[in-house]
Amino acid sequence: MSGIWDGISAWAQGMKEDFILNFVTENRWKFITTGLSNTIIITFLALIIGVVLGIVIAIVRSSYDKTYGEMRKGFKKFLLWLSNKICELYLTVIRGTPVVVQLMVMYYIIFASSRNSLMVAVLSFGINSGAYVAEIIRSGIMSIDPGQFEAGRSLGFDYKATMWHIIIPQAFKNVLPALANEFIVLLKETSVAGYVTIRDLTMGGNIIRAATYSPFLPLIAVAVIYLVMVIVFTKLVNILERRLRNNER
Amino acid sequence: MSDNIIKVSGLKKHYFDGKIKALDGVDLEVKKGEVIVIIGPSGCGKSTFLRSLNLLEIPTEGEIFLEGVNIADPKNDINLHRQKMGMVFQQFNLFPHMTVLKNMCIAPMKLKKMSKADAEAQAMELLKVVGLEDRANAYPAQLSGGQKQRIAIVRALCMKPDVMLFDEPTSALDPEMVGEVLDVMKKLAEEGMTMLVVTHEMGFAKEVADRVIFMEGGVIMEEGTPEQIFGDPKNDRTKEFLSKVL
Repeated sequence: MSGIWDGISAWAQGMKEDFILNFVTENRWKFITTGLSNTIIITFLALIIGVVLGIVIAIVRSSYDKTYGEMRKGFKKFLLWLSNKICELYLTVIRGTPVVVQLMVMYYIIFASSRNSLMVAVLSFGINSGAYVAEIIRSGIMSIDPGQFEAGRSLGFDYKATMWHIIIPQAFKNVLPALANEFIVLLKETSVAGYVTIRDLTMGGNIIRAATYSPFLPLIAVAVIYLVMVIVFTKLVNILERRLRNNER
Repeated sequence: MSDNIIKVSGLKKHYFDGKIKALDGVDLEVKKGEVIVIIGPSGCGKSTFLRSLNLLEIPTEGEIFLEGVNIADPKNDINLHRQKMGMVFQQFNLFPHMTVLKNMCIAPMKLKKMSKADAEAQAMELLKVVGLEDRANAYPAQLSGGQKQRIAIVRALCMKPDVMLFDEPTSALDPEMVGEVLDVMKKLAEEGMTMLVVTHEMGFAKEVADRVIFMEGGVIMEEGTPEQIFGDPKNDRTKEFLSKVL
């Protein structure tokens, strides 16, 4: 009996020492907290860029799908065609290449002269996420019954107002689960920010590991923090989703 | 232009470079306060005709004058003219994310800059007329088909249109709900609203229409008073169609 107890006590003692070594000595916990704050900053700002970019692109693409065939010839029609082509090119390139490569291209080539790696990362992840958000929102817009659109137009709303007051609110509700999923993917994808010298959460854990040669606690800590963020976020989305649905019954 | 509220001439709608002719030259004049019922077999172009009157379908050719303005001309702002033409759809097309009241208030508030209080007062009054004032805060999903369609009619009326277009308003309803919707339409006709109605309800056509139009193959085959069309049709196609539906 006492053998088991000794074993547990020895393990606990080892853990305690490990904990002190990894997080307390030299204030190493700060790598985790500053890393966490960088991760949150990148994710949050990239999310905003992604959603704005996504909505704009989704509207261009679905406007093209819905109205191009019916449009009268002229400059407006050409403009829509051109915008749609640009959006398609953007989607192809962004979705066709890994986000790490995009990040490094941005950091080492396009913004080679910039020292603000955090903002370069925000921009890269935002532009990357925008492509996925665009297709999610477009699928939402296209899923709305065309009758809704006609009803809006028949009351006298122009195309933009119909989109804004009638189509987008319904589309948003339909795609909320997919958008939440994209946000979770984005949060976890920022873990590659370390490639361009950013000390994000993952990088923070890795720095500790490299300094202490003790991988267990730093990496598990990092994993648990990501997991908790995702769980909390998922709960919040579920509440929002339920509230939006309750409206209708 | 005299007292014609709508004048259509040479209206054509072709698809696939003219391979399919949904409308092939329709002429029509509608007087203020007139109730016109459009009948015909499915695919005859009657819905397309109605939908092109407010440019939900862009005509390939032809002119549509609403109160003297050619709305088929791209130079004219169609959004303004659509405000004068209410439309009721087969599938109701209420906005599911808004309450009944919001469905009715959003257009007058956003487009006519009506105050919320005024818009709601107007909506409540119209709801009373159709006997649904107790459903003002319900969502469309909580309503029956007949209720939805009555709401759709008064939603269009909130914009105070000069003309009402009905595209098979009772075709998606359970039989016992058809009556309540037709009653509202009858009331509207009695109040002098100019109405164009595409329907299969021949009883309604006989009772309410000032003029009945029979369409087939994208053209008007025959038109006349309900007595002429139902009692003594001249055209063979009209006779054949009526023999099947009456």
